[in-house]
Amino acid sequence: MSNLALEDRRLRLGPAAILAGATLIVLLYALPYIYLLLTSLKPANDVLQIPPSFFPQRLSLENYANVIGSPSIPASFLNSLVVALASTILSLVLAVPAAYGASFFPNRLSGWFLLFALVTRMVPSVSLGLPFFSLMRTLGLLDTQAGLILAHTTVSLPLAIWMMAAFFESVPRELEEAARVDGCSRFGAFMRVILPVVSGGIAISALFAFIASWNEFLYALLLTSQRATTAPIMIAQFKTAYGLSWGPMTAIAVLYSAPVILVSIVLQKQIVGGLTFGAVKG
Amino acid sequence: MSQTRFAVLMMAPALLFLAVMVAYPILLLIDNSFYHVELLKPAARTWLDLDNYIKVLTSQRLADAALRTGRYTVFALFFELVFGIVAAVFFDALGARSRWHRTVFALPLMVSPIVAGILWRFLLIDQVGIINYGLAALHLIPDPRAVSWLGNPDIVLYAVSFPDIWLTTSFVALIVFAGLQNIPRDVIEAARIDGASAVQRFLRVRLPLLRPVLAVVLIVRGVDAAKTFDLIWIQTEGGPNFQSEVLSMNIYQRMIRYGDVGQASATATVFLAAMVVLAVLAYRFIWGRSRNV
Repeated sequence: MSNLALEDRRLRLGPAAILAGATLIVLLYALPYIYLLLTSLKPANDVLQIPPSFFPQRLSLENYANVIGSPSIPASFLNSLVVALASTILSLVLAVPAAYGASFFPNRLSGWFLLFALVTRMVPSVSLGLPFFSLMRTLGLLDTQAGLILAHTTVSLPLAIWMMAAFFESVPRELEEAARVDGCSRFGAFMRVILPVVSGGIAISALFAFIASWNEFLYALLLTSQRATTAPIMIAQFKTAYGLSWGPMTAIAVLYSAPVILVSIVLQKQIVGGLTFGAVKG
Repeated sequence: MSQTRFAVLMMAPALLFLAVMVAYPILLLIDNSFYHVELLKPAARTWLDLDNYIKVLTSQRLADAALRTGRYTVFALFFELVFGIVAAVFFDALGARSRWHRTVFALPLMVSPIVAGILWRFLLIDQVGIINYGLAALHLIPDPRAVSWLGNPDIVLYAVSFPDIWLTTSFVALIVFAGLQNIPRDVIEAARIDGASAVQRFLRVRLPLLRPVLAVVLIVRGVDAAKTFDLIWIQTEGGPNFQSEVLSMNIYQRMIRYGDVGQASATATVFLAAMVVLAVLAYRFIWGRSRNV
């Protein structure tokens, strides 16, 4: 007996109607992105045609060629990639041992530590962005990848700490004790016995850290101007510097979002769990 | 080595990083909020007592931005929840057969707000926005130019939230779906046998059981919506006539456009304090309560 809230005699919604309804919802939902995709494949001149047409009359890779051919766009994607990779590695190197210590050996400090990490996520980016600007200027790190890596790690580190703490919670304590009995040091037990068990969790945390940096906008806007500019900033500038050149903009938006979408579809379940910050087991 | 010492050693590097990169900058921010500091001459600071705070807290523009932040958050959250719950109920009714539907819904889960903002700006663009052509074809508006979503100061604040709603409905739907699937079948079966209608079963049995899930969604999403910057910035930069300027943007403009680091810092400190109070309440509400359930 399936549980169908909608399939009720009084509502007269049969299984076919439910399937149709759900399919309609999903189609409507996907339409905007499909339109973006189709628009990016139109020749640049057709993008702003009046009246607009949903399907391209002619297909063209002109917009993509424009974007890839311009010197600044590939460089900004490379910056995004380097900054995202480096801040992911940095945040995991810091978060994994910290989350292990906090969740396997709870003490007064670990409670405060986890609370501090949680509160950090609630801090508005702009409230950290302002002092970051002064700090990076003093350190000579304005418009450098290093400065942006540090800034992005303040976003991904608290996220990684909480996600990893949730993963460690599900590891039985006996595993550590058994390793210790077998002669491992505490650190050896962590490295050789516990870490392999949570490798899946590490991968998911890494994915979240990477995308947090890949998508980040405000710190990049405040802290970079030219050399270290990331992809989202270039997208925003396409609007001002080129007087709304929508054709290339749609192409760059697709290039920037398509990898993220593919990953989301494949790892949907883990991502939904992670997005609630480990609070709801998805 | 004692357990506690080991735990502290493991936490030390992360703690050090958070101290240097989060706590110290916040102290810098608070310190600057008591001075007159210009962006281009950071060394020449003059002490102002509480002047920045008095100016900021009596500023009409800031009060307006704060009010808009609240309106934006409530509007976006309301529609995200309604659309998300409706979609989740449909998926739940389909059960396992909704796998493909849910896969499509996962599509925008991690998409950058920048992309959503650009996409919707294009959908709503004045002369060639396809949404207005669609509405005109359905005779909902007289002609495609009748509504200027992002140009009309009266509606722009709500129009800029469309991409936010679009992006986040999927998140709400998938979480609520997971929550619905976790409700034991016999509970609903019992309600059905007791003669509860589908609507009653949903409102009286399933919705209350979803409360912890909805609390998490509300708080996580509420904080994000209140912090929004990029999504609105890419659509309107706060215009027209500041009518889509929210708090984050107000602070950014004080700093970058007007170069007034002191006042920007005072505003950012007030914003930060408000959000942290909210965070602590959220922490107590979610983790304090759901642990007992």
